[in-house]
Amino acid sequence: MPFHIRDKNARMAAPDDKDLLDRPIFSFRLQIILGFFTFFILSVLITISAMITINKIEKRIATVQTWDRFLFNIEQARRWEKNFFLYGTNLKDALESTGAALKILNENINNLDSPDYSWQKEEIIRHLDRYYIELNRLSQLVESNRTQPAFQNEIEANLRQFGARMVEEAAEMAAREYDMVSRWLHLLQKVPAYFLVFLFFLMIYMTRFLSIRFMKPLKYLVNQTRRIAKGDLTPLRPVRKFRDEFTTVEVAINRMLKELENRQKSLIDSHKLRAVGILTAGVAHELNNPLNNIMLTAHTLMEEFKDIDDNEKLDMVKDIIGETDRSRSIVHNLLDFTRESQSVMEPLNLGRLAEETTKLAVNQAKVRGVPIHIQIERHLPDIIGDRHQLKQVFLNLVLNALDAVGSDGKIHVRVESRKPNLVIAQVEDNGSGISADVLPHIFDPFFTTKPVGKGTGLGLSVSHGIIAKHGGRISVESTPGRTIFTVTLPYYPTARGAEEKPAPFEEPPH
Amino acid sequence: MKKPELLLIDDEPMVGQRLKGGLEKLGCVVEICEDPARALDLIKKKNFDIVITDVMMPEISGMQVLEAARTASAETRVIIITGFATANLAREAMEKGAYDMIAKPFKPADLRKLVVKAALEMGYSDIKEY
Repeated sequence: MPFHIRDKNARMAAPDDKDLLDRPIFSFRLQIILGFFTFFILSVLITISAMITINKIEKRIATVQTWDRFLFNIEQARRWEKNFFLYGTNLKDALESTGAALKILNENINNLDSPDYSWQKEEIIRHLDRYYIELNRLSQLVESNRTQPAFQNEIEANLRQFGARMVEEAAEMAAREYDMVSRWLHLLQKVPAYFLVFLFFLMIYMTRFLSIRFMKPLKYLVNQTRRIAKGDLTPLRPVRKFRDEFTTVEVAINRMLKELENRQKSLIDSHKLRAVGILTAGVAHELNNPLNNIMLTAHTLMEEFKDIDDNEKLDMVKDIIGETDRSRSIVHNLLDFTRESQSVMEPLNLGRLAEETTKLAVNQAKVRGVPIHIQIERHLPDIIGDRHQLKQVFLNLVLNALDAVGSDGKIHVRVESRKPNLVIAQVEDNGSGISADVLPHIFDPFFTTKPVGKGTGLGLSVSHGIIAKHGGRISVESTPGRTIFTVTLPYYPTARGAEEKPAPFEEPPH
Repeated sequence: MKKPELLLIDDEPMVGQRLKGGLEKLGCVVEICEDPARALDLIKKKNFDIVITDVMMPEISGMQVLEAARTASAETRVIIITGFATANLAREAMEKGAYDMIAKPFKPADLRKLVVKAALEMGYSDIKEY
């Protein structure tokens, strides 16, 4: 059966849950998935960029090789050229090598472009062309077998000039490319190291972020349960802008709070009944006094009817009426306390309330021979509260005090205002006090020091709940011979203040 | 002829006010007292034959008055009148030597009967219910 109820509740969320559930979902699952997804994307990016880099290096290496081959052929050509001028041989080889170099250059002319720098393409080609042309001219000169030393010297000078420039340029290009390759390799070596460092910090951040995301709501919930344990049953409010797995817990706690509040209400009622039981005994005695006065007066009137004058008769009848009124107010006071009533928050004078309530217990106190002193500040500001529930709190405190004191007991009830906006009510007794190990538990439900059957252990817990509901505090300090329960309730300037109107129970001026 | 001396203590003024006349008619000397503390002083000063006392009174209980009266004179008859008549209270009163106990509300005649009975026992002969 409970499962049905729970399912039903889960489907149609209670109005209190609305605030909690009316938020976009951003669950931890989603957050973790997002975290890992980010991580995955980063890894993919790193991998792709590493692949691109390797690809580039490959191309570079190819370029370096091309330049090496080119340089080799040029140098070869220069060696043959040198041989020709020294020994008159190898001119053909020189031409061949130059042709090969030219071919390499032409075939790779586009691959040799580099995005990182521009090179004097035209210069090299021009120099190579000139070199080739000079070689060809030399070859034609040799083939024609005419000796023209001046012309040959000019060609030789040109060849030397262009050859040297070409070798120089090609070597420079090769070195440059080689330098590029080593730079890229160097970079490639560093990237994983950088990546690892980055990954390390990312993981620290993720761990911190996730733990904060987990710990914060947990801490919040722990604080909330602490608050609830103190009897404040106001439902949890949404603190984050989104919903997550903790929302389920919060909704469950709110449901529990609702259940607790219902339970608390019935506890208040049952505890009230117990208090009524105690009171009734006292009230019965109290009622006997006016009844006795009525009885004695009526009998006297009857017995001496003929002997007394009319004025005296009238006085007696007035006495009877007065005592009947007194009986009525005693009964009314008790009925007012027991009356089943809706919880109504209204402006109340806490002093008057405490006084009325204390009067309820005065008979009980008389039975024990314990005097109760009431000391109430005049012009108390009104607090907003539930009359019946607050009466129950005071009655409970006074009855507890009565239980605590011995034969020479004394009870003081004080109500006064405190800055900035508090009204405090104190019930002090001179009983043996509450021992320090018991003191922290006295507001716990079902905690009692009274013998079995005498106390339910609910009185203070119920009182605590009521005061917490009123936004106030109830505290206790105790030393042997002096125990003070203090109820602190806030008042608000908007409430009808008592400053303007005279306190209704003020003593008449003497 | 010596009259029995009677002290009536009740913090309710009307009790003494209404009973005084009737008790005096019986032939008693009646003293009314609303303050039990003053009553204790009176008992110390003078031996009353009959003390009628309420139990639940501020500061001093009727039981203390009973004890004081019995201590002052074992002869004194103490009648307890109380609105909170329980078996426990009756037992305690009897143990402390009370003469009798009447529960409030009572008829004046009932108390008078009891006073007459006590007075006769104490040897006051010319006292009787009218």
